[in-house]
Amino acid sequence: MKDKVSVLMDGELDDKAAEEMVRELRREGEAAEAWRTYHLISDAMRDTRLLSAGFQARLARRLAAEPAILAPARRAAEPRRWLPMAAAAGAAFALVGWMAFAPQQQPAPVPAPVAKLQPAPEERPVMVPIPTAANDYLLAHQGFSPRVALQGMASYVRTVSDEGTRR
Amino acid sequence: MRGGAFRLVLPFLFFLPAGLAQAQSAETLGWLRKIHDATQKLSYTGTFVYQHGTRSESSRITRYVDSRGDIERLEALDGVPREIVRTRDTVKCYLPDLRVVKIDRRTADRSFPALLPERIGALAAHYDIRLGETRRIAGFDCQAVVLTPKDNLRYGYRLYADVASGMLLRAVTVDAAGESVEQFSFTHLAIGNVTREMVKPRHAARAWRVEDAEASPARLAGWGLSAELPGFRKVIELKRRMGASGGEGKPVGQVVYSDGLAAVSVFIEPLQEGRDPVRHGLASMGAIHVYTREVANHRVTVVGEAPAASVQRIANAVEYRRPQ
Repeated sequence: MKDKVSVLMDGELDDKAAEEMVRELRREGEAAEAWRTYHLISDAMRDTRLLSAGFQARLARRLAAEPAILAPARRAAEPRRWLPMAAAAGAAFALVGWMAFAPQQQPAPVPAPVAKLQPAPEERPVMVPIPTAANDYLLAHQGFSPRVALQGMASYVRTVSDEGTRR
Repeated sequence: MRGGAFRLVLPFLFFLPAGLAQAQSAETLGWLRKIHDATQKLSYTGTFVYQHGTRSESSRITRYVDSRGDIERLEALDGVPREIVRTRDTVKCYLPDLRVVKIDRRTADRSFPALLPERIGALAAHYDIRLGETRRIAGFDCQAVVLTPKDNLRYGYRLYADVASGMLLRAVTVDAAGESVEQFSFTHLAIGNVTREMVKPRHAARAWRVEDAEASPARLAGWGLSAELPGFRKVIELKRRMGASGGEGKPVGQVVYSDGLAAVSVFIEPLQEGRDPVRHGLASMGAIHVYTREVANHRVTVVGEAPAASVQRIANAVEYRRPQ
C-alpha cells in the first residue's frame, strides 16, 4: 500500500490504479497518513519552504467557491461517466498539486505554484443572476457605447431585452 | 529569358506584403467609415434578430432623418412590449406594463465623441482590421469587416455591411475562441421611404410615471481606478438618478471607459442603512457582463460589452481615496 502511495506521488500510477489510490486516500487511513508523511519527508529533503498555516483549508475553500461554468452540461446524457472522471480529475489535480509543490530541480518560491493553478489573473468570480436594475444600467451605459455610431440604436435592444427587463 | 524576368520581379514580390497590408488597411478603414456614415445618414425601417446564447429576440427598428436631426425608434416584438425612442437630445424608454417612461437626456453626450470618423484609424491600435468574405444577408450583398483584438481584453467583431449603401446588416461579437457571443442580424430591411409618423412612440404615456435620469457631467471626487485596463481610457464622468421605484431615484455616479469601440461603465451608488447586502459576483447577457462588488460602503456595478475578465479587472481596480 505504501509503495503505491509513493508511486502515485511520482505520477507513475496508471489512471485506474491512481483512481483507486485516490479513493483509498479519501478514507483517511494508513494510506493518507503515508501520503502526508512522504510529502513532509520530501519537503524536508528538498528544503521546501513551508506553506503558511491553513493553506490547505484556504485552497479547498477557493476550489469549492469555483463556479462550475465549464462545458460539461453538454454531456448530461451520461451523467454516471462523470464519477470516474471526477475521480480521475481529482487524481490529476493531486498530481498537478504534487508536481507544482515539489520543486523539481531548484526550489521555487511558494507563490509561483499557486499562480500556476490560476491561469487567469483574476479570481474566478461567483456567477449571479442579472441584477434587477440591469435595465437601468444598460440604458445609462448604452448611450456612451461607441458601437451606437456604427450600429444605430440596435444595441439598445439589450435594454429592452426580455431577460434584462425581468424584475 | 524567363529567369531574367523572375530576377526582376522577385525584389518587388519581397516588398509586396507590406504594401498590400497598407492598402488593405486603408480600404478596410474606408469600410468602417462607410458603415459609420450610413448609420448617420440613412432613413430605414427593418426587423432584426438579437441572438445571445440559445436565446433570440426580434425587434423592429425605424430611423428617420431630416434637417432637424434624426429620430430612431426601437420596438421589442417578442416578450414584454418595450419601446425606445431616441431623438437628438433624449432617449425615452417606454415600459407599458409598468406604466413608466424612463428619460435619459443626451445633453451630456454633446461633448462626447462617440466614434468620430477621424477616430476610426485609432482602432487599429487594439484591433487587426481586415476585410472578410462577401455574403448575402436579408437580400443585400454584404462585405464583411473583421476586427480581431490584439489582446484578450476585448471582443472581436464581424461586421457585414451592404456593399451599395454601407448599412450594417449584421454584427457578430466573437470571443477569443472565435465563438459568437451575440449577434444582431437584420431579417428584413427597407432603406428610405420613412415618414416622421413612423418614428412616433406608440404610447402617449400620459399619467405614466416619469423617471428622469437627470444625467449631467460631474466629477466623482475620490473615485478612480488603481490600475487602468490597457487601451481603455476614461471618456466621461457624470451623475444621474436611477431606478425611481417610488420617490426620486437614488443618486448614482457613472464613469465610462472605452477603447474606441467597446465601452465599460462603472456605476457607484452609496449604500443605505438596512438595505439588501450587495450581491457580489458576475452576471452576463450576450456580450454584456455585469460585475458587482462593494467598495467603501458603496455598491460598485461595472457594466460593459467586454469579456468577463476585463469587466472584473476594472471592477476590482475601483478604489476610493478620500480627497485631500
